[in-house]
Amino acid sequence: MRNQYMGALASVAGVLLLTALVAGQNNQGQNNQNNAPHSQWKYYPSDRSVGDGGPAPKRDLTGTWAGPSSGANVPRSKIENPRPPQLTALGQQLFARNKPIGKYSPAGTNDPHTRYCDPFGFPQNMTNEIRGITFATMPDRMLILLQYMDLWREVWTDGRALPTNVGGRGPNTLDPKYNGYSVGHWEDDYTFVVETTGLMPSTWATRGGYPHSVDAHVTERYHRDSKNDLSLTITMVDPKLYSQPFELGDIHFRWIPNQMLDEFSCIPSEVQEYLKVMGDPAGSDPNEQNPQGNRGGRRP
Amino acid sequence: MKMKLLMAILLVAVFTANDTRLLAHHGAAAYSMDQPVVLKNATVTEFLWINPHPLIKADVKNDKGEVENWTMEMGSTVSAQLVGWSRTTLNPGDVVTLYVWQAKTKLPVGRLNKVEFSDGTVMRDTQTGADDGGRADTGVRQ
Repeated sequence: MRNQYMGALASVAGVLLLTALVAGQNNQGQNNQNNAPHSQWKYYPSDRSVGDGGPAPKRDLTGTWAGPSSGANVPRSKIENPRPPQLTALGQQLFARNKPIGKYSPAGTNDPHTRYCDPFGFPQNMTNEIRGITFATMPDRMLILLQYMDLWREVWTDGRALPTNVGGRGPNTLDPKYNGYSVGHWEDDYTFVVETTGLMPSTWATRGGYPHSVDAHVTERYHRDSKNDLSLTITMVDPKLYSQPFELGDIHFRWIPNQMLDEFSCIPSEVQEYLKVMGDPAGSDPNEQNPQGNRGGRRP
Repeated sequence: MKMKLLMAILLVAVFTANDTRLLAHHGAAAYSMDQPVVLKNATVTEFLWINPHPLIKADVKNDKGEVENWTMEMGSTVSAQLVGWSRTTLNPGDVVTLYVWQAKTKLPVGRLNKVEFSDGTVMRDTQTGADDGGRADTGVRQ
């Protein structure tokens, strides 16, 4: 009996040792970065803010921040794969059309971003590949600049109300937009609240393929906890598709000391090359029905 | 009996903590993750530092002496940089040993596990670089 325990303990110890070795190998790679000469034009994930940096400045998010997956030791999002509230009948119908990459692989997904680099659209672009973000404050609006895809959002702070006529058929209606229409205000000295509606209904609300309607109302709450820490929660209310508010994300950001970010975009020609020589030949999960044809998205 | 149960729970917890394949950019459903294919003396023909995933193209002779043209993908460029990769890590003509999680289609494509260079050094992929198919970058959370 004792031998059984010893064997089990040895297995556990072995697994922990392997884990430590792998972590050590990767930490070594990061330490090497620390010793190399640094350029002020480059992002170094190992150059991290230390501590909280002191109190947050009042009513100020301006600057560049590292998000999850940036290598800057940012805490992971608390909502990796958000569980939606109950879908309405229409919500179920729309959700059933979407074949997310996580389940279907690049060959089998019908995610328009994966296949064609189409924009994520808001709100997915605030939870998917959100490795770096910049805030630029203007007198009448806040610009939110996203590293991934080199895109920006305009959040108007001049007191205007959100539009109520997006996507309708009348002569004075507004067109839906990939990032919607946004207004923002300071709820207190450290909390900036953004309200958005008028979203492009063809985009997915989440990487997992959950849908949204043009009338979805999304609230982002940015709270600057300290000079170096920023947290964001995102909630979507979309009664056409969901019976309750949908908590989309709880994301943390850290201040980047040299304020630089890497370039990171989806390039259509590179994606076509990738799919041609790699993604499509690799196929989709054979156990899943493939939406891209009876060859499973594979080359002939 | 209680000890056995405790050990079982501990083992499951440890293995679950290490099995982070689901966190990859896209799932590993297309690949056979049981055992990597080993491509010895593979000659790199192209290293494409592209998004969404860098691609390594390499020629390798099989047991019959026939040259196979392999293509394998890695994690994203920004993730690969975090574990030391750059657009110049591999160059055409480099002779290396490649460990690949081959696609279930059995075509010569797959997901990189790791590469062994002629000087014996090893570099791993980010998202499936561990030898059990899990993440190698345990110190760099994604």
